[in-house]
Amino acid sequence: MNYKAIIVDDEKELRTYLKKMLAETWPQLEICGEAANGKEALKMVDAFAPHIVFLDIKMPGLSGLDVAKNIAGICRIVFITAFDQYAVEAFEREAVDYLIKPVTKERLLQTISRLKKQLQSSPEPPTNIAKIITQVLANLQENTNAGYRYLQWIKTQHKESVRIIPVEEVDYFQAGDKYTLVKTAQGEELIKKSIKELSQELDPQKFWQIHRGTIVNVSRIENVGRSFTGRGILKLKNRSDDLTVSRQYLHLFKQM
Amino acid sequence: MEQQYETKYIFKYWSNIKNDVIDFIYVIISCTVLAIVVTIIGPIRSFLVNFVASQSFGITVTSIVFWSLMIIRPRTWELLLFIVVIDVCCAVLIGLQICIFILQYFFNIVPDLQANGLGLQLIIGGLLFSFFGVYFFLTKIRLKYRNEMIDKEKTRRTDMEKENLSASLKVLQAQIEPHFLFNTLSNILSLIDTKPDTGKSMLLDLTKYLRTSLSRTLPEKTTLFQEMSMIKAYLDIHKIRMDKRLNYKIDVPDNLWQHSFPPMLLQPLVENAIKHGLEPKVEGGEIVIRAIEENNLLKIEVADTGLGFSDLDKPGLGITNVRERLGLLFGEKGRLIIEENKPHGVRATIEVPVSEL
Repeated sequence: MNYKAIIVDDEKELRTYLKKMLAETWPQLEICGEAANGKEALKMVDAFAPHIVFLDIKMPGLSGLDVAKNIAGICRIVFITAFDQYAVEAFEREAVDYLIKPVTKERLLQTISRLKKQLQSSPEPPTNIAKIITQVLANLQENTNAGYRYLQWIKTQHKESVRIIPVEEVDYFQAGDKYTLVKTAQGEELIKKSIKELSQELDPQKFWQIHRGTIVNVSRIENVGRSFTGRGILKLKNRSDDLTVSRQYLHLFKQM
Repeated sequence: MEQQYETKYIFKYWSNIKNDVIDFIYVIISCTVLAIVVTIIGPIRSFLVNFVASQSFGITVTSIVFWSLMIIRPRTWELLLFIVVIDVCCAVLIGLQICIFILQYFFNIVPDLQANGLGLQLIIGGLLFSFFGVYFFLTKIRLKYRNEMIDKEKTRRTDMEKENLSASLKVLQAQIEPHFLFNTLSNILSLIDTKPDTGKSMLLDLTKYLRTSLSRTLPEKTTLFQEMSMIKAYLDIHKIRMDKRLNYKIDVPDNLWQHSFPPMLLQPLVENAIKHGLEPKVEGGEIVIRAIEENNLLKIEVADTGLGFSDLDKPGLGITNVRERLGLLFGEKGRLIIEENKPHGVRATIEVPVSEL
């Protein structure tokens, strides 16, 4: 029986290369299609019902892992990856087939012989792969998103355009009449987000609310003093303006 | 801006009790000297009267000017001057009353203000010297501010030299991403059999890119031409990989090509445009790099039509690096502005002062 396969990779030259390599190492395999992104890949799986899908992991739109989740159990998947450490480790552990770019002939031959053996012994593709992929995806997300659930960019209206400021560059936020002032070394900008909203969206490790109307970037604090009235006076690095810490928030600055 | 810092500095200076005491002693001494001088050459020959008058004027003017400025804290020189003028006029009149009171109460002298225009003379003299005094103190503080700024600038420069080495090392580490390198190498490998010419040019581009990015520790400055040809090599590599999904345009006016420019400031911006903007976008898009000279600023803009930022995306090391290096090289005059590109994508603009290049 002749087996059918499709190749999915967003880089054209790499598809051509893999096709050529497969033609040399497994001439009986019919390559019935090439897809440049996840969506195309799903369509082709529907149209051709291939036995094998060679699937690049890093692609625009739907990633290879997203595609795999949808087609697990329908076809056998061989992942292709350039440098996705986490994924590779997981595949190694779970004995899922994968190729590392640039694909070498020796490695490809190994994969082919394994594929042939599997296809002959059981015609139905394994279904447990979906579980593995969900797990890998979760791991990946954790690795790339760890700690980044907080606001990272402040978008401010600046004349005609929208400026984007990384939160690290903000010295402090100060409530104004209608807007909130964003103070940076470069100057000040206005945003519509209120101090209350900001206090929920910013990373509490890096930004402290020190007053009903003030949130300060902790890394910019130079020192804290006391005023006559028992409030805290905050001096910031490279800034001449002082900030007031109301009594409610003074506990933040208690000595360790 | 500058004004604001200067006026702010005055209040900062006066917030220090030590400075206040010194300035107050200055006032007492100069008023005493003034009284002696006026007694010798002036119209009023009584040292006692001159001394009491000059001290009461001096202290009243000083305290009123001091407190009104410290409370109002005007931000511009115009406003500050306006306040000072009103202060001095009021203070002189009040000072005159105090002077008369002291003379009457303690020394039993009743000066006849009408005679010989004595009152007018006191008022005019008081005004004249008060303005002179205030001018003297403000100028003194202003000069002190200027000197401090110059010192700051000097330390910034030495710091910059010190940090330059570590900064260039950091840049080097950030540059060559393994993902990029492996991807490019696999592409070259694939092209060797099928399209050897394309493979060759990709290899040359990679060599050019690596040569420039690896030799970062050596030159402090390159020309815009050198920098752009490195960027072009970098973009050409991605162009082969991404094919129709990537288009780019480099637009530099002829007179700017030989302009000097710090190395490796642009590359992280282009890398961001590809990595976060175009690579993850299915349809791809365009990158436009444009240089212009305007108001003594060299502005270089990298605009893409990619996915743009989502609020929660982690800012890349690249952007932090660029900003850090701009700060080290140009202080507050070197800026990186990131904006949304209409209708989509990101536009990053580097602004550097032409005079410091």
